[in-house]
Amino acid sequence: MAKTELNRKTKTEIEDSSSLKGTLASVFLLGFFLIVTWVSVYFLFLNRF
Amino acid sequence: MHMHKFEKIWLIFGIGALLVFLTVLGVSAFYLGNQPPSCLATINPEKVDTTAPFNEPGLKKVEGKDWDYELVYVAQAFAYTPGDIEVPLGAKVKVIATTKDVIHGFEVAGTNINMMLEPGYISEFVTTFDKAGEYLILCNEYCGSGHHMMASKIKVVK
Repeated sequence: MAKTELNRKTKTEIEDSSSLKGTLASVFLLGFFLIVTWVSVYFLFLNRF
Repeated sequence: MHMHKFEKIWLIFGIGALLVFLTVLGVSAFYLGNQPPSCLATINPEKVDTTAPFNEPGLKKVEGKDWDYELVYVAQAFAYTPGDIEVPLGAKVKVIATTKDVIHGFEVAGTNINMMLEPGYISEFVTTFDKAGEYLILCNEYCGSGHHMMASKIKVVK
C-alpha cells in the first residue's frame, strides 16, 4: 500500500535574496538631483530682482 | 506590516523633502505675503485709458507706501505704453500692468518680473531694481501677427 505523505514534514526555506541596494542608490540619486535643481532655481530667484 | 529597512529610509527622505518644500511655499505665501502677479484686481478692459492709474502710464513717485515708485504699463497689440523708461538704481518699484485687447506677456528678461496680462485683470509685481543695466521687456504670450515685434526697455540708471 502506498504510504501517505500527510505526516511528512518538509521545511521550505524562503530565502529573501532580493537586494534593494541598487534601488536605494537610484532613489537617492533621483532625490539629490531634485534637491540640487530645486535649490539652484531658488537661488537664481533670490539673486535676481 | 513588514517593511524593508531601505524602504523606510527612502519614505522618510521623500516625505521629509515634501514637508520642507511645502514649508518654504507656506512661509513665502502666508508670512512673506507673496502672491500671483494677478490677484483679484479687475478692470473694465474697454475703459483702461480712462481708469486710474492706467490713464497715465509711466513711472510715478509715490509717498506713504511700501514702495517708492509705481511703474504703470498698458499693453496692446503690439506695443507697450510707455516705450523706453528709466528707473533709478535701488528704487523699490511696484510694476502695475494690464492689457486693452488680448492676452499679452510681460517678461523683463533676466529678472523675476514675469507676468501674464489678461484683459480685465491687473497684474502687479513689487521689486527693488538693484542692478544697473538695460532690461528688455518681452511679450511671451502669442498675441498675433506682430507678437515678435512687441518689446520695450527698462534702463536702470544711477
